Amino acid sequence: MQGRVLMGVVALALAFAIDDSAALDATQYPDWKGQWMRLGSGQGAPWDPAKPWGAGQQAPLTPDYQALFEANLRDQAAGGQGSDPSYRCIPTGMPRVMIAVQPMEIVITPDTTYVMLELFSTLRRIFTDGRDWPKDIEPSFAGYSIGKWEDADGDGRFDTLTAETRAIKGPHSYDSSGIPFHEDGRAVIRERISSDKTNPNVLHNEITATDSALTRPWTVKRSYRRIPAKEPIWSEYVCSEYNRHVQIGSENYVIGADGLLMPTRKNQSPPDLRHFQ
Amino acid sequence: MLRRGSISLVALIGVLCATLNGAWALDETKYPDWKGQWVRADSAETAPWDPRKPWGLAQQPPLTPEYQAVFEANLKQLAVGAKTSDPTARCIPAAMPRVMMAIHPMEIVTMPDTTYIMIETSSTLRRIFTDGRAWPKEREPSYAGFSIGQWEDSDRDGHFDTLAIETRWIKGPHSYDGSGIPFHTDEQATIKERISLDKRDPRLLLNEITTSDNALSRPWTVTQSYRRAGGARPVWTERICSEDGQTIRIGEEDYALSDGLLVPVRKGQPPPDLRYFKQNQN
Repeated sequence: MQGRVLMGVVALALAFAIDDSAALDATQYPDWKGQWMRLGSGQGAPWDPAKPWGAGQQAPLTPDYQALFEANLRDQAAGGQGSDPSYRCIPTGMPRVMIAVQPMEIVITPDTTYVMLELFSTLRRIFTDGRDWPKDIEPSFAGYSIGKWEDADGDGRFDTLTAETRAIKGPHSYDSSGIPFHEDGRAVIRERISSDKTNPNVLHNEITATDSALTRPWTVKRSYRRIPAKEPIWSEYVCSEYNRHVQIGSENYVIGADGLLMPTRKNQSPPDLRHFQ
Repeated sequence: MLRRGSISLVALIGVLCATLNGAWALDETKYPDWKGQWVRADSAETAPWDPRKPWGLAQQPPLTPEYQAVFEANLKQLAVGAKTSDPTARCIPAAMPRVMMAIHPMEIVTMPDTTYIMIETSSTLRRIFTDGRAWPKEREPSYAGFSIGQWEDSDRDGHFDTLAIETRWIKGPHSYDGSGIPFHTDEQATIKERISLDKRDPRLLLNEITTSDNALSRPWTVTQSYRRAGGARPVWTERICSEDGQTIRIGEEDYALSDGLLVPVRKGQPPPDLRYFKQNQN
């Protein structure tokens, strides 16, 4: 009798433990909690951290887009902003935001992995609920991401998040040097995010861009390090707060220290004031 | 012998349960289901801070006489088209507590250590720390503020149902709503929230928000409510203020941009001072 009761207790306890499926799943995900910052990204935060900023990136651009890139570099060398729209507080967007120039947090739930980046307050939702691609997606700077967890080393726990991102809004560039994306807005970004095999405080992200401005898919490997703080400090990045750049029509101006509008180049025309009496 | 064996087996079961569930897992069943997309339940176009009262003076904010005068001056400015008192017109975030009107969709993600409130308005991310931490001595003020929360089981059914939050270090300038009801400039406001599902309608989330601020003669409590929207797979949107038409400040004046041209925001507004442009001087 005692044995039967005991078996019942065992069965009940095991059922309770196993039936809590959402809970059991939680133990299958990697520990990516905390604050992450870019690792080894060199001067100017180039897109490919293994190569120098600018022309040294050797982006596999088509001749048309290589010409655009070079014109943009000349403009920057002459003091202009080139083709990088972020100076006007336009978000850097995907995939550039994944350089993680500012801190990043990753929150994993069974249905969605949230990548929260301080830069431009970017929130990425990577849907891991098994959904198909929607027919129509409104383009956004973060894009629309669907992901899948993989157990690459076969130990029974997920260790790699693969994500594909589409519907990325332009204009955007790979980094501050202005390496351009095609204006057709059809770039697709594939990522493989996984912990370093020997250091759990290092995260790797293999990022492959496929875009009509490229002659072939372009893969770079980025890494992030976990900040060793139990209670990391998070900041707000509000670009508009201190931005001095103003675009009026097609012209760029700056607001000077005295609050007045100033030209950004010699002999620049003032803004059209036709609406003022 | 059997008794001793039973105790060992029960202990083993206990260890097994603890191992399988883990702290994260076991706790998860204790939290309320606030998943999905939430939008404000009140549909008034003007979006007043207290949804039970009309926008503007009728909000009857318990302001000190000094700040009541500031509020009335703000309303006069608005009446002639100037949005000087509303920093969101210049792409400054709506900030706490105004952002909790949830004019645009909101998502709440509950984890044991932190509850994340993500609101499309001003791309706001709030972290509500529920890890039992103490208040830090100092924090850099931010528009979302610094929030510590505590889960409560108010009906004592073994499940958390209420998140009590306190938020400090809120950066200014900010106002309660578009009418320009002001906060004190000392940035000492504290906001207390109690978020819970409506007991009669679980599709509604209620947030009782109490503000203590030196511009108020007493704490001011309003209740915001949110309804679940968007179905199982809601559509989320990006709202990039810098992309849209915005107001720019030149000197002491705000101007609007329309079709690439500067436009006055009030009748008879003088044009901006363009003294730094050579052609303008000719």
